[in-house]
Amino acid sequence: MTFVLNLGLALLGGPLLAGVVRKMVKARVHSRQGPPIIQPFYDLFKLLGKEDLESSPSLVLRYAPMVALAAILAAALLTPMGVRPPLGGHGDMIVFTYFITIAAVMVIFAGLVSASPYSMMGAGREIMMHLVVEPVLIICLVIAAIKSGSLVMWDMAAWNYVNGPSISMIVGGVALLLALQAQIGKIPFDIAEAETEIMGGPLVELSGPKLALFEWAFFARQIVYASVLAAIFIPWGTGFALPWNIGAHLLKITVIILLVGLIDVVNPRLRIDQAMSYFFGVVFVALVGMAFALIGA
Amino acid sequence: MNVQQLGETIKDRFGPDVIDFETLGPDQLYVTITPESLVAVAEHLYQNEGCRYVINSGTDRRQQRDAFLITHFFTQDEEKIYIAVHTEVGADDPQVDSITPVVPAANWSERETRDMVGVVPVGHPDPRRLVLSDDWPEDLYPLRYDVAHDVHPPPAEGVAPERLEPPEGASVVPIGPFFPVLEEPAYFRVFVEGEQVVGADYRGFYNHRGIEKLGCSVLTYNQVPFIAERICGICGYVHSCSYCQTVERAAGIEVPDRAEYIRTIVLELERVQSHTLWLGIAGHIIGFDTVLMQTWRMREPLMWLCERITGNRKAYGMNLLGGVRRDIKPEVYGDIRGVIDKIGDEWAELAAAIPGDSTLMARLQGTGILTTETARKLGAAGPTARGSGLAIDVRLDHPYAAYDRLEVTKCVHDSCDNLARVLVRLEETLDAIKIIHQALDDMPDGPIMAEIDEELPAGRQAMSAVEAPRGEVFHWVLTGTENRPERWRVRAPTYANLQCVPPMLEDNALADVPICIGSYDPCFSCTERMEVVDVNSGQVRVYTEEEFRNEYDQPGDK
Repeated sequence: MTFVLNLGLALLGGPLLAGVVRKMVKARVHSRQGPPIIQPFYDLFKLLGKEDLESSPSLVLRYAPMVALAAILAAALLTPMGVRPPLGGHGDMIVFTYFITIAAVMVIFAGLVSASPYSMMGAGREIMMHLVVEPVLIICLVIAAIKSGSLVMWDMAAWNYVNGPSISMIVGGVALLLALQAQIGKIPFDIAEAETEIMGGPLVELSGPKLALFEWAFFARQIVYASVLAAIFIPWGTGFALPWNIGAHLLKITVIILLVGLIDVVNPRLRIDQAMSYFFGVVFVALVGMAFALIGA
Repeated sequence: MNVQQLGETIKDRFGPDVIDFETLGPDQLYVTITPESLVAVAEHLYQNEGCRYVINSGTDRRQQRDAFLITHFFTQDEEKIYIAVHTEVGADDPQVDSITPVVPAANWSERETRDMVGVVPVGHPDPRRLVLSDDWPEDLYPLRYDVAHDVHPPPAEGVAPERLEPPEGASVVPIGPFFPVLEEPAYFRVFVEGEQVVGADYRGFYNHRGIEKLGCSVLTYNQVPFIAERICGICGYVHSCSYCQTVERAAGIEVPDRAEYIRTIVLELERVQSHTLWLGIAGHIIGFDTVLMQTWRMREPLMWLCERITGNRKAYGMNLLGGVRRDIKPEVYGDIRGVIDKIGDEWAELAAAIPGDSTLMARLQGTGILTTETARKLGAAGPTARGSGLAIDVRLDHPYAAYDRLEVTKCVHDSCDNLARVLVRLEETLDAIKIIHQALDDMPDGPIMAEIDEELPAGRQAMSAVEAPRGEVFHWVLTGTENRPERWRVRAPTYANLQCVPPMLEDNALADVPICIGSYDPCFSCTERMEVVDVNSGQVRVYTEEEFRNEYDQPGDK
């Protein structure tokens, strides 16, 4: 049952919420009508139906999109989405982090094996961003692990709901919110893709089903990251009875994704060096949160 | 120093090397010198007289004088004088000393003259082909009069432009020939170390349409304004104005006051339209699509207004020699004021918000530095020059149309970065709106077109410039027989500004390259109107403004 919930939310909720953001936030701010809300699905199906071209004979390029989507979906199965996640008992935050990293590494591989200077440059930027953004997620999860005394993400969420807000969890939540924009590749941190600079970066040589799988993985990734923030660091609603706990979770991630979408439309893109110095600041905030957790606050 | 004195100074200094000099009005000086003294005279004008280099022109005069006429154009902005330095080189040995070593801004135009007329600049530091396509035959010079305007040499295989080698350890990132944010083909090869730009090479002119050749071979005086307007897809009116003014000046045609005011108003409307378009593009380049959408929404009513005044959204087709083709009726004045005031209000808000947006400032401030010295050395024009602290503006330095009767502000910033160029355009747009109001206030009554009864005299010449949204547009015409110019030379501002791009890019991050290129506002064409094609029947229907509004307006905009 929860398999269906988590996979369904990641696979269908991701594109749907992206469509909502495009129509309700982006188009509104632009004074445009905007595309239909289910446009992301049209796009995905259109891409899936196209000829599967291969720009390089590499096996990595052939399987990277599938592995990326699979890794994100595996991560989704470990993520609490209102109720105990389906794989909650079998894996913890360390496995989760590995799955997330596998997906990011697949994007980087796809960039590195495509023979284009733009994808090379995009892959380089992706690596740099990953190296500063991922530690924020890990540190924040470590804070929750210290507080709850467990590495399992559902235990963290449950602990935070039972014990109420604490300084370290609030600081950790803020740090994660500050990093969320980059984790899901939105402006001002869509630097690795940067359409107007490097024409889509790592994925510039991809099209058709391969591109569709990557895009789908990115849509699902939004749900996973928003869920981590919503379930573990915003404890409201976790203890509600079924189905209200799921409803509360949906509400939380919708608000988070709309907020991310709003930041996306009212900002220009930063340069990689500017983003790096911003994230050193965010890592510092997260470390402060960890220090609070260690002294018990 | 007036124009006569300047001529005499040059004559005194170079003695017998100055064959002759003549003046036209208080602002134009034509000096004819010997080829041997060309470099010395150019250096003197550039170094000692504080002149700015404009362009070089080559004219095939083998029929009349058995020689090629090479002309270098300068301007002394403080004294409000344009200077043409003519020199003749023999047809049997078409070579002339290159002035690029002493006047770097002459780099491209000397190469262009070599490509088009076949006069070789001896001692040029970078003698690669510039304008002609890579497979054009070596010995076919399109601007020579024995070459037809429609000659089609056979295409060749396996040709490529000569390229600059990247410095040791740097790799090459191609930007172009087709790149998402450059709406026209342009090929920058950017040399990078990591994300850091260490140099750049440029190859362009993929869209060269031979318009000068058409003007000197098949069109008549009154047909040229229409093709001149198509030189640029976004600020074409400046070219037709500049051309008309040049011929009017050469032939001594007095343009009626009212026509001058109408030209001024349309020029300023075009400036507002061009700057709003540019701000949107600049926003898009740095990933800020909200700016693009909102500025283009603001701009649209102006396009409708232009269509109402001139008959077209773009390519107005208003100018003929002697005046303009359509009057602006007094009952439209109110609508003009309403449209530009609405843009002005929203624009002022936008201009006030930009310095407060820290993310935006992080991208603009301190990036794309073009120092004042380099800007002068490479002949930068318009907002690119004014953003680098060069206080030049043709509207004030060399007034034309009705600008001598209107109050114009020079918007100058000296921080030399992308931000400065943005601020210059933001202020200029508000100033343009004020100018339109003044012009409407003062608009005199009277005819809009001068009567021209007799044939235009041959062998006369004149120069004229217009401050386009992108900078100084310069035209020179040598009148000819058969009711057309013998030689018509055009310089668009991007020609000068593009040469400033490689130094502008150096020491920036690669991520800043598109906005640096965008910051001097390269031109591009915009489509006319929306067409709906029925795929089944193949029928094409053009939406009217009314239908378009009904279908596509946002409820919030009414």
